[in-house]
Amino acid sequence: MTGTAAGSSPLDATESRLLTDTVRGVMTGAAGGCADPALAGLGWAELLAERPRVAIPLVFRSLGETGAHASVLLDVLRAADPTLPAEVALPFAGGRWVVWECATGAPPSEAAARSGAARAETVGQAVQAPPAFPLDAGLPLRPLALGSVEGGRRAELSGRATAAGRRALGWWLLGTGHAMLALARAHAVERVQFGRPLASFQAVRHRLAETLVALDAAEAALAHADGDFGALLAKAAAGRSALTAARHCQQVLGGIGFTAEHALHRHVRRALVLDGLLGSTRELVRQAGREVRERGRAPRIAEL
Amino acid sequence: MSAPPLTDTAAFRDALRVWLDAHDLSPGPDHSLDSQVEQLLRVRRALFEAGWMRYGWPEQVGGLGGPAVLRAILGEEVASRDLAEPGIWSMIEVLAPTMIACARPERAADMVPRLLSGREQWCQGFSEPGSGSDLASLRTKAVPHGEDWLISGQKVWTSLAQYAARCVLLTRTGPGHDGITAFFVDMDSPGVTVRPLRTMHGVDEFAEVFFDDVLVPADRMLGRPGDGWRLAMDLLPHERSTCFWHRIAHLFTRFDQLLVAGTDATDDELGAALLALHTVRCRSHTTQRRLAAGERLGPETSVDKVLLAEAEQRLFDTARDVLPGVIELDDSPWRTEFLYSRAATIYGGTAEIQRNIIARRLLDLGEE
Repeated sequence: MTGTAAGSSPLDATESRLLTDTVRGVMTGAAGGCADPALAGLGWAELLAERPRVAIPLVFRSLGETGAHASVLLDVLRAADPTLPAEVALPFAGGRWVVWECATGAPPSEAAARSGAARAETVGQAVQAPPAFPLDAGLPLRPLALGSVEGGRRAELSGRATAAGRRALGWWLLGTGHAMLALARAHAVERVQFGRPLASFQAVRHRLAETLVALDAAEAALAHADGDFGALLAKAAAGRSALTAARHCQQVLGGIGFTAEHALHRHVRRALVLDGLLGSTRELVRQAGREVRERGRAPRIAEL
Repeated sequence: MSAPPLTDTAAFRDALRVWLDAHDLSPGPDHSLDSQVEQLLRVRRALFEAGWMRYGWPEQVGGLGGPAVLRAILGEEVASRDLAEPGIWSMIEVLAPTMIACARPERAADMVPRLLSGREQWCQGFSEPGSGSDLASLRTKAVPHGEDWLISGQKVWTSLAQYAARCVLLTRTGPGHDGITAFFVDMDSPGVTVRPLRTMHGVDEFAEVFFDDVLVPADRMLGRPGDGWRLAMDLLPHERSTCFWHRIAHLFTRFDQLLVAGTDATDDELGAALLALHTVRCRSHTTQRRLAAGERLGPETSVDKVLLAEAEQRLFDTARDVLPGVIELDDSPWRTEFLYSRAATIYGGTAEIQRNIIARRLLDLGEE
């Protein structure tokens, strides 16, 4: 289930495997926290500059698989568009905006996240809205309050940056989906009910199979995401696959997967939040429909 | 005309498009099955004579060599221009490789060019009334008869049997998976009876085939006794790479037709249908590349199959939604294709069988 994420890799198989193992290792070491320092130590900046087609799939997928986070998304946006301001608000689903705080060290506590949200509130105009507080407190995201005046930061992302960000988020969502599938698979194999492993029940097997199908479809789309439209479709496919994984894996994990003691909920939260960044699946699907309607023809992006 | 040596895929596609632009092979107005088959053979003959049909096939069987991906490109162009129905166009992708891999070389050299050149149509006798998803339970019997074999039994869902000159036939010669043996049978042999099946979509392309003590020479066996199951499994990569690519190309043409049909389709509906088509195309592209790199395709192609069936049904469900009344009230191709798409999760291994394979072989979930 853990295919190589190298894409059209100029690395040979051994180099690629070594790099993959190293990246996964440092992220697992970050234990759900911020992997920025460890990635810097690995030469992330050079890797991104020199081998983006290797670096982005590998690093972002690994973030998803390990549950770590890092502010590498901003690096990817900046590599695609060097004119981006130092602090940039990122578009979220529904016309909302978030700021990715370049955190170092431990993930923000709930209290810190709440206070960050409150800070945004004070900047905002008088809008009757619930206080912003991200579902995934493990990510250093600060939602801008509805109607907020932090408008200077809301420079439109260029098409290039948006596409690059969507590709990166797509790989992250793919990794998150695989993390959920791995948890659900392990549970299905180990958990016994009615004297049989859950994995022996066809209803359970088919949910997990559906999950893999969705994830593999997303991975294929991510492998053909060079252009803007390909990136849009790939992010949509990846978002959909992660949401499919969340639904099926939650169900297979049953009660234990609903507890905060089990790791699943962190991945579910991450999938939901990452899906909204730079356009949700629903919004991207709609945009794709609008574009092909205007063109009168569907692009055949993967050519033999 | 002798074809130029082309191995570069882009150059092949470009040259092929130029040729097809200059040679109109469009079908006539009659969409009966007889006409479809006639059109299929006409297109094949023309493409064989011009060389296009020979690329990607080995020289020993009348081909011009080159990578198999050239066949996928040819099929995509044929489907994109609606020159032949992609299902019957693609049967060759299963039949010819089987002959090349399993028949005696002189037999393959004699027979395969007949198929490639459109001189003959063949069929594939696998499913039986009692053996659908559980193909390995098949019971059509082959028993030794002197130097030869006597075959008795019944096949079903045999595409184009009524037009076929030969049949790649699975029979039982012993118990279990190792007791399945394949033969290459002439359809005009005494004792072979074909009865076309009436189907829901109104195109009688499938048939029942009855074998009553049909005498088949020993040298018509494909491989050795007991090789039949392996032969059947080895067909899958062909079906799930090139054939799927053709079908996906066909579905894109239908999606384009919807886009320009002046419907009130919402962006959400169009986007969802497009996303399904795009992802299966990307997946199939990855599979083509793996095949081209010499990788052996296996259970992971079940993912391609699930995605293709879902994309096809979503597309035609969308067509029905946004073309209200057309499928129900008009005698239009949309009706035929909508109805045919209902079978997409059934033929070639049901959606459930594919999920079983994914669970067992890809997710390693153990036995049910």
